Amino acid sequence: MKILAITACPTGIAHTYMAAENLERMGKKLGHDIKVETQGAMGIENELTEKDIAGADILIIASEVSVQGRERFQSISKVLEVPVQLAIKNPAEVFNRLPH
Amino acid sequence: MRESLRHLKLYLLSGVSYVIPFVACGGILIATAIALAPMKVGTGPDFTNAPFLKLLMDIGTAAFSLVVPVLAGYIAFGMVDRPGLVPGFVGGFVASALGAGFLGGIVAGLLAGWSVMLVKKIPIPRVLRPILPILIIPVLSSLAVGSVLYFLLGNPIKELMTYLAQSLRTLGSGNQVLLGILLGAMIAFDMGGPVNKTAFFFGVAMIREGNPTVMGACAAAICIPPLGLGLATLLAPKHWSDRERESGLAALAMGVIGITEGAIPFAAADPFRVIPTIMGGGALGAAIAMLGHVGDHAPHGGLVVIPVVDHLLWYLVAIAAGTLSVALTINLLTHRRKSAPQAETV
Repeated sequence: MKILAITACPTGIAHTYMAAENLERMGKKLGHDIKVETQGAMGIENELTEKDIAGADILIIASEVSVQGRERFQSISKVLEVPVQLAIKNPAEVFNRLPH
Repeated sequence: MRESLRHLKLYLLSGVSYVIPFVACGGILIATAIALAPMKVGTGPDFTNAPFLKLLMDIGTAAFSLVVPVLAGYIAFGMVDRPGLVPGFVGGFVASALGAGFLGGIVAGLLAGWSVMLVKKIPIPRVLRPILPILIIPVLSSLAVGSVLYFLLGNPIKELMTYLAQSLRTLGSGNQVLLGILLGAMIAFDMGGPVNKTAFFFGVAMIREGNPTVMGACAAAICIPPLGLGLATLLAPKHWSDRERESGLAALAMGVIGITEGAIPFAAADPFRVIPTIMGGGALGAAIAMLGHVGDHAPHGGLVVIPVVDHLLWYLVAIAAGTLSVALTINLLTHRRKSAPQAETV
């Protein structure tokens, strides 16, 4: 599957990036095509482009704050929202919860 | 109900995440200016012969005066996106002018978001639609937030803030220790999660209100879990696997730069031993910091904030005591654990 994800946390210096790393690693391990955008203290990095969004099946939002640019993803019907903590501590469980 | 509470938390944290660098800028510049300026007995720092320090002071003060408006503005932004910015900033400015502090800022931001939601519901003829975001929403929602603050909520919140600041300043040493224990345990409990952030943001808010000791206690507790666990792997390398020793080194580095998250790999692998241990260490360190009147003027912890810490010696004592207690306790507890299964890794 082609999966997009966004991670964000209040301080935006540690959790955001740890969650992104874990989701990416676990996604690849499970054989998915995954791209993760981080919204941390440095702003948006590894931004999800229109092209990414056009081909995507599912959007994962792992965040403790309001995500920026939510309107970009109106074309994606399947969205999974999880606490950023879950993506850090148990990324496998995040993928278990994906809607099929 | 639970859902709306979750949303409320989301909004508040969105606002706070934009505010932290402002507190850093203001806190560090002001603390530097005060620390380097010659002291005049009775009146505090004297800037008459130090124009550069005066400049630092003024720029830092400018950053601080933006904290409440930015907090309110971005809480509203988190709720309703761009239309929230105007009533949020305006409401935050009003709250600030009324002396309602960060609590006022939170209320102003929430009011701003709600008022935009309300104004959007007013039925408006199609021809007028385009002026909704540039005229109608900014004017009506700001008017609403400003009025509520001026006539209704501003003064009670100011009273509450004054009371809070006053009681913090006059806490007896017994209560100071209790507050330290509570803050330290909270900081360590989820290592950067929501409970940690609640204590942390209380400390950040208090820096702006002129009481850096709350942040001082938090700052000590912030670095104790990773430092203590890292030290444990150095003290008893045989207790730990190769991977854990590697995590230990990373944890030490993260502790120095004040990132509690360095303790997460340990806590994830063995939560029932690690979390109580680091809560104890954090509580001990924070309590000592409170007793030593340690103040921290930056919204961050660890050894990197040393230049802007008051009562530095006590700060170091607090960190050392907490770190040692974590390291020794965890090595004692994990003594018989060598054959325990490794946690699943990614």
